[in-house]
This record gives sequence, C-alpha cells and structure tokens, in this order.
Amino acid sequence: MQTAPLLPSTAPFAEEHIAALNRVISVSTAEQRAWLSGYLAGLQAASGTHAATPAAPPAKRAPLTILFATESGNAEALANQARKVAAKLGFAAKVVDMADFTPAQAAASENLLVVASTWGEGDPPQRAVDFYEALMADDAPRFEKTRYAVLALGDRAYAQFCEIGRRIDERLAALGGARITDRIDCDVDFETPANGWIDATLQRLNAEVGAKDAGASVIHVDFARPGADAPTRARPFEAEITEHARLSGSRSSSDTHHVAVSLEGSGILYEPGDALGVVPSNDPALADAVLNAAGLAGDEALRNALVNRLDITTLTQKQVEDFARETGTPVPPAEWAAGRQVIDLLETAPGKLSAEQLTALLRPLPPRYYSIASSRKAVGEEAHLLVAAVRYAAHGRPRQGVASVDITARHRAGDKLKVFLRANPHFRLPADNDRPIIMVGPGTGLAPFRGFLQEREAVGAGGRNWLVFGHRNYTHDFLYQLELQDWLKSRLLTRLDVAFSRDQPEKRYVQDSLWDARADVYRWLKDGAALYVCGDANAMAKDVHAALLRILADQGRQDEAAAKAELDAIRRDGRYLRDVY
Amino acid sequence: MDIERPLSANEGLKERSNFLRGTIANGLTRVESGALADDDTQLTKFHGFYQQDDRDLRAERGKQRMEKAFSFMVRMRVPAGILTPRQWLKVEKLALERGNGTIRLTTRETVQFHGVLKGNLQPLMQGLHEDLLDTIAACGDVNRNVIATVAPWERAHHATIATLARDLSQHLLPKTRAWHEIWIGEEKISGGVVEDEPILGRTYLPRKFKIAIALPPYNDIDVFAHDLGFIAIVQRGRIVGYNVVAGGGMGMTHGESETYPRAGTVIGFCKPQDVIDTAEKIVTVQRDHGDRSNRKHARLKYTIDDMGLERFVALVNERLAVKLAPARPFAFASTGDRTGWTQEADGTSHFTLFVENGRIRGTMLEGLHAIAALDTGRFIMTPNQNLVIADIPPAQRPQVEALLAAYGLEKPLSGLRRNAMACVALPTCGLALAESERYLPDLITRLETELERFGLSQDDITIRMTGCPNGCARPYLSEIALVGRTPGLYNLYLGGAHEGIRLNKLHRRDVDGDAIVAALSPLFGSYATERRPGEHFGDYVIRAGIVAETTAGLDFHANLSHEAGA
Repeated sequence: MQTAPLLPSTAPFAEEHIAALNRVISVSTAEQRAWLSGYLAGLQAASGTHAATPAAPPAKRAPLTILFATESGNAEALANQARKVAAKLGFAAKVVDMADFTPAQAAASENLLVVASTWGEGDPPQRAVDFYEALMADDAPRFEKTRYAVLALGDRAYAQFCEIGRRIDERLAALGGARITDRIDCDVDFETPANGWIDATLQRLNAEVGAKDAGASVIHVDFARPGADAPTRARPFEAEITEHARLSGSRSSSDTHHVAVSLEGSGILYEPGDALGVVPSNDPALADAVLNAAGLAGDEALRNALVNRLDITTLTQKQVEDFARETGTPVPPAEWAAGRQVIDLLETAPGKLSAEQLTALLRPLPPRYYSIASSRKAVGEEAHLLVAAVRYAAHGRPRQGVASVDITARHRAGDKLKVFLRANPHFRLPADNDRPIIMVGPGTGLAPFRGFLQEREAVGAGGRNWLVFGHRNYTHDFLYQLELQDWLKSRLLTRLDVAFSRDQPEKRYVQDSLWDARADVYRWLKDGAALYVCGDANAMAKDVHAALLRILADQGRQDEAAAKAELDAIRRDGRYLRDVY
Repeated sequence: MDIERPLSANEGLKERSNFLRGTIANGLTRVESGALADDDTQLTKFHGFYQQDDRDLRAERGKQRMEKAFSFMVRMRVPAGILTPRQWLKVEKLALERGNGTIRLTTRETVQFHGVLKGNLQPLMQGLHEDLLDTIAACGDVNRNVIATVAPWERAHHATIATLARDLSQHLLPKTRAWHEIWIGEEKISGGVVEDEPILGRTYLPRKFKIAIALPPYNDIDVFAHDLGFIAIVQRGRIVGYNVVAGGGMGMTHGESETYPRAGTVIGFCKPQDVIDTAEKIVTVQRDHGDRSNRKHARLKYTIDDMGLERFVALVNERLAVKLAPARPFAFASTGDRTGWTQEADGTSHFTLFVENGRIRGTMLEGLHAIAALDTGRFIMTPNQNLVIADIPPAQRPQVEALLAAYGLEKPLSGLRRNAMACVALPTCGLALAESERYLPDLITRLETELERFGLSQDDITIRMTGCPNGCARPYLSEIALVGRTPGLYNLYLGGAHEGIRLNKLHRRDVDGDAIVAALSPLFGSYATERRPGEHFGDYVIRAGIVAETTAGLDFHANLSHEAGA
C-alpha cells in the first residue's frame, strides 16, 4: 500500500526509504522535525559536502518569475516562500499575481515557477480567470524561451483534483515551454511536499542556469526561529476562549456561535479580512467508531492519533482504491465515495487493517480557516470568530463538520483553541478611508465585514458602508442584529439590506437584494465603491457574480460582454474582492 | 360631569396621526428591526394588527445579540363571521405562507394570523384584499368586527342579521384611506381633498367599541358582553325589530375596583330600518362623552354608569330621528354552539366543528382544506371559536362526512370541553399574566375526571379562561371562569348564567391547578345530587350560597365570600 507521503515521492530517496522516513516522520513532533532538519543541515554545512551541485549566488543573478493563482492565499504564501528560497540561491526573483499578469508577460520570462490552486469543481481562482483563459486561447503566445515548473494545489476530496495546475502545466509544454521538473500535485496537507518540491526544483534550476562555483551550502535553516516567531499551522498558539455564545435562536435551523479568543502573547497581528487557522480535534466518538470498524479498538496511541492528528472524515477516491487493494476487495464504482467518509469505507470490509495500514491510509488532519470577525483596533488582543456548526446526514448517518462542531460543541469559554494566522492580503479594506464599500456577506460570510466595520469605526473612516446580509429566518438567524442596529443609528452603516430565504414562499437571497437595489449598486460602483463578497463559493458567490453582471448590463444599458468587461475592470482596479469557501 | 383632566397619550397620537397613517409606511422599510416605531404600534391596531413578541424567547434573545422576537398578530374584519370556501382557502394559504401556519378563530367571529413578520404584512393584506377581505378596524378605538348569531338553519333570519352586521360594520368603518394606501398601494389622495371622519371624529373613539346581534333563543354571541347589542324580536315569523342593549363590557384591572365587567342593559326597542341610525347615535354619544383621559375608564359602560342610565338614554333619544320604544320580551337558552350536524327539512345540512380554543393547525387545517376544495356551502366562524360548515346540499353531505371521518374531525366531547373557551395569552399576547390557550385543555382533562365521577360528563357547563383580566374570552359571563394573575395562578369565578345574562363572582383568589380541581370537585358532587330539574351549575352555586349573585357591574366586586378574601 502506498503511504500518504510526508516526504514527496520526488524526494531524492528510494521508495522504501521514503516510506521508512515517513514512518518516523509521521509520529514525530513538530519540534523533533525542526531539530532533525536543522541538525542535518548543520551537519552538512560543517562537512562541506553537498549532494546537489551548486551553488554560490550566480555571478549574474538569473531572473525568476514566480507566478501564483490564489483564492485562499495558500498559493501566494507558497510563492513568497519560493521567493525566499530563490533569493538565497541567488536568483533575482519576483512574485507576481496572475491577476496582474498576462500570458505575453509570462512568455517573456526566462524562468517561470507557477503556483496554481484549483477551486471548487475544477475552476481557476476568480482573479486568475483572465490569465487562464488567455493562456488557453488559440492566440496564446509561445513559451519557447521559458523554463518552467508548476506546483499545483488542490483537494483530493474533489474530483477535479489539481485540475488547473495540470492544465497550465500541459498548456505551457504545448506552447513550447521547457519543463524544469515534473509538476507536483499537492493535497490539503500541502506544506511539506510543496516546500520540498520548491527546494528541489529551484536547486535543479540553479544547477541548470546558475553559477559554476560549487562551494557554499545553499540550505538555510533558521535556528533562531522556532518559538520566537508567529504561530504557524505546525506550531499553533494555544488561545484561550474568552467568550463563547450561541447567536442562533433556539429555534434556528442553524447553530452559529460567536467565539472570542485571546491572542495575548501570541504575536499574531491580524488585519481585518485575515483568517484565523484553527487546528481541530476529531469527534472522539467518531474516532472510536473508526477504531471499531478497523477492528483496532483498545489501541490508545492510535486512538490519540485518530482524534488529534489524522483526517478521519474526508474520503478521497485514492483512499478508496488504496483500501480495496490493501484488503483485496473490489473497487466500488467511481461515484461511491461521493458524500461518504472514511468510516463508510472501513465498514465495507471491517477489521482488515493493521494500525500501520490505517495510519498510512489516512491524510493528516488539516486546519480549518475562519475569517476574523473583529478589528484589533476595536477589541485589542482578541480575535472574534463566527462559527456555524456543520451537521447533516448522508448515506444514513449523521455527519459533523470537524472543526465547526469541535469549536462550538466541544469547547467552552476558558478552554483553549490552537490557532495561527493566515493573512488574506487580497481581502482588505480600501487604503482610501473615504472610499465607499459594499459588503455582501450572508451567513457566516458576515464575519470579515464585522471586522471591517469595527475598523472603519475605530479609525473614523468617512467612506459609506453598505452591508447586504442574508440567512434563513429573520427571527432566529439575524446574526449580530443589535450591533448592526447600533451601527445604523450611528450612521457608520449607511445602508443595510437583508434577504431571509425561508420567511416567505418565494426564496430570497442576497443576489435578489442586490438586484432590487440595482440602481443604487450601480451608482455606488460608479462612485468608486469597492464591492466585497464573503461566504459560500459554490452557489452564493456565483449567483452574486451573475447578479452583478446583470446589474451592470441593465443599469449601464450595455450587452453582456460589455458588462463582463466592466466588472473585470472593476476587479483589476481592486474593487471587486472575494473571500469565498 | 366632566372634570378637566389631561387627555391620554393615545389621544395625541391619534390627533397627530394624519388619519391613522403615522410613520407606518416608513417603518416597513426599516429592515434592521422586526418592530415598528412605538407610536405606530398604537396606530396599527386601527389597521387590524398588534405588534407582539414571542415571550417564550425573551430570556435568550439578549445573549444572542438579537432584539426581541417580534412578529404581528393580524385580525380580519369579517362581519357575521361568514367566508366563502374560496376565501377560506385564501386565509389558509396566507396563514401557511405569511403567518405561523395556524388559523386562530376568535370570539369575535374572525380569524387571527399569528407570527406574521413585518416583511409579510403587505403581502398578507394584499392577499386578503384580492379576495374582498380586509383587516380595517379589527382592533383600535373604533367599532370592531360586528358579530351575529350563527344559526344558518334559521335561513331568512340568519341572513337578515348577517346582512345587518355587514351594514353596521360598513357604516361605522373609518373613512380614511390609510389602510388602502399603506397596504394595497392605493394612490394618495391629492392635495385638494380634505379627509374627515363624520361619525368617529378625527381622534376616533375614546376606546374600543363592540357590537353584537343575537337571534333568540341563541345567545352564542353573548349579547350582554358588548358595548352595544341588538336582540332580534321575531313575531309571526318575521324580525319586527331589535331590543337595544347598551353598556356591556368585560375588561377590568386586577386590584382596581373602579374597573369592572358589566353586563349590558336593555334600553329599548327599534325597528329594523332604524338600527343603523340607533347604532350611529349611540356611537356618537360615546364619542362625545366617553372618558378620553383614562383608557381604563373609557368604555361605554363607564360612560353610562358615570352619567346614569336615564341621562344616557335621553342623550341618545335626543339625537335619534325615531326614539327608542319600550323593549319587548325575549328569552335565551344558551351561549353555547350546537356542535355536530344539523339537518333541515329540505335536506340541507350544517356541521359545527368543535375547534379547541379556536386554534386550527395540522390535520384539522388539512381536513378543512379538503372540505373547502369541494367549493360548497359557507364557512362561518362562531363566537365560541368554532367553525360551522353551513349550507351543505344533500348531495354533498356524504363527501363532507367522509372527509370529516378521514381527518378525524368529529370527536366525542364532554359537556365542559364543548362549552370551554380560552384566549390566546402566552407566548404572544403582551398582556398575558398567565397561560390560557396552552393550559386550559389540560385543566379540563383533569376536571373531566371529576365530572365523570358524578355522572356530569355530558352536562353543558361553561368554563372560560383568560391570561389577564381584560376579558377576551368573555370570562365574567361564564359559569366557571379562571382569570390569570401570575404564571400558574388564577382567580376562580363562579355563578355566571348559562344563557349569558348574569355576571359571575370571585370565589377563590390565586389558585393553582390543584386548588382549582380541589375547589370545583365537591361543588360538582353536590350539584349532581342537589340540583333541581334543568338547573344549571351557575344558578345552582348561587342558590346553594357558594357565591352571591352579581346583579350589576357595579356590584361585581361586592359581597365576596370569606374564601375569596373579601
């Protein structure tokens, strides 16, 4: 059975060595791994030998363009990480957002590293759509001068895993580009393989285009960093919950909580629009069910891993196939995994796995990200989260969101949450405090806008603020209603529109509110308003996008193509920003 | 008689309201709150609805950072309580789509929608308007819905009083177009036209005003409970005119003995063609002489008792073209409804459906939908919160019977439950001090056990419960009444007349369920053994000396027994 790699298959080791190393790594702590990498690097520096060729900084610094396409910020973070590595290798590296780049500019780059995420059901990130479509078009430029490599980000839980990265990679090859190394397709636990791939790829590129002098070590390990730095996913901050209150009414069909955590001493300095990563634990009852299904009940160490470290819910097609091979059972049809989870898979052939096999089958437990619903200028060293517990039934079994239920049901005020910051630099208030903003945030999509409003209130920003909120029932789901009323009274909030879908026979959503207010939406946009959308990516964000196009066409008396061009221009102007999930 | 005292706050509100418009229209656009502006919530009563909040949820709302769970109770105006099947289907649809999915039949022969959100008010009103219904003056300081005896088997007489109810309602309706403007979107009256309220006046009446028409021997509408009542006098098969009853009213305030329920007084007789004028003039006397400084002392009953009956009758006669004649004899048998089937000689049938406390939901709603879909007969809401499916032709009776059976709508009932009424009270009524609609059915179940012990299961005894002393279920005319004092505790009244002609008397103060059963059970026992032939429970308790007889509103609080805490 193939392991879920902690070291990538591209690591410069034999396959069995990779597996062996991963067995050690998979049970290691973050501290142990940091020590190990530091120790080996230090040892190597002292011995003065190096396996790969170079490299002292190239005499003439080779140019490198690191192009990213991001929705959540992960690809951008990796691009910036790659730039650091490249800089240390001596490249003249620059990081560019696909939103601000054309294929022609990319084709003019000698060395090109692409970090591209795939969104939803195989879509490019919204801001990368123009570049992507131009690259795929018949009149795309040739890339014969360009050496390139693609790092693809995705989520194996979706069928079109890493689709965008794959297609860019193939397209660049078809257009004459020279691959530096094979593409890597990273799952949600991308950090380790991605960083390994970046190191390897840049070293290889450096070997091809860099300086001749092979002397100094190129591996830089920052011994000073651990502990002194801002918390990370691997080293989260234990934040005390200072307030934990359910906002949904007792008769609500949803279960949304206001959770305030103290960041005192964490070094986390967030801006409105940023997200807080939360490292969750699994439901212990589900962990026990998984143990039972695997026939491994009683293994405390394994149980601990299942609760705290491994993803025991998400089921990928790869896991289905691995499990079938491992247990000698037939592979179910491709659609079988849809809506099912690990427990369903194990129960198809109970009691057939060893602890090692089960551990290897499972992916690491990923963190979850919550848009921060506060401004430090208003709440000091706290961050507020708006968390809706996810609960549903599928294939005859009740299911729960891992982090949302962990936070809302298994934590109380006084407990601690493991958190770290994920910056979201593309979802910020306008630099100009006088610029009007329209915020479209149904459900927990309201979160960042509460942060925006707190911030604008704290700094005395003069710009008009228009919020469009939506949920199911007015009476039971009007999140932060009293605060919004106060902000209307103080005139911080210029306008509020609401759409509650289940209060009347005809369903109403935020896009309906926008359409009903289309003349004003258009006027605000003409006045230079920035429009923000936060919340559900699959339905809401697409419906809002379509509504905006209709509004621009209707109010601007123009056809669809012209409306699309106008919205694109607004987006390129940084005035149409989305934080969707 | 008038001592100059400042007008009550509502008088200024009405004066400034621009004929009941206020800022209601603006309030509808304020999406951040489910409520309207405070002043407007007084004006909306004239439009037929009350702002309320779910009191079950009050405690949790603050923690949830949400305002109170506001919604509105919308009451229809349906003179004589008659709807077509098509109108019933519309009411049902609106209750499901715009309300809380229930239809609440009230003691004023109408429908209340509960749980209507602010954003659903306009669609609800427009839906009613499409089917020629409205909510104008269903609440507020105006003439409320005019009710009439529900006896469709009386054919022509019933048709006559139903038409009279409709004409009275129309004649006394506010003339302002505010309702049509705000809810239906009618164009505002252009600058030149000056609005006026020739009957009600620009500040409308001092307080609510209620009219009921009785067709003896039925006193289902409790003709003595209203500001103004008409008792049809039938001679040689024709309604020759109506006795006029004035000054009835139920509301009082706990601990304020200057407030009291009063049974109306028969003040004379008028011919059918003079009824509208008589009603109008009595309304104008109340308009001009009613107390506009104290809303707890503003009903017609106080106007009459303050000035004396003779002076009041004289004032009315001064304004009438045709003076009141001496009252004629009449006799009532009962205030209850005739439940179940009534078949006429020609085969036409009427079915009176018992609706516990008037609340229709779930299976009953579905069953009535199926019956209304037959598009036959009429749906008549009774003053006892029941529903008559009237005028069913012989050919369709089997279908109706089959549907009643299929939905389980015909159930055996005890005499007590058949004659029970409760107001809405908690969780939506802002006035409620205790449970009523949600509690009375359980209490009756306990009392039924006691009645069964004494063989009284099928005896008709009226019992009425209200969550506060304002009297929506007309408790003070009931043989047994329970009026809420505080959660779980009620004042127990006894001795009302079965036929609704006499007020009851306080018997026990602040009793809970156990104490109520303990107080009533021995009385049921002695009633079963000591009663005279045909003697009703309310009459028995007076003859047996359990409570003193109440002869007038002014002695309602007098002659209390030791147990009642006199």
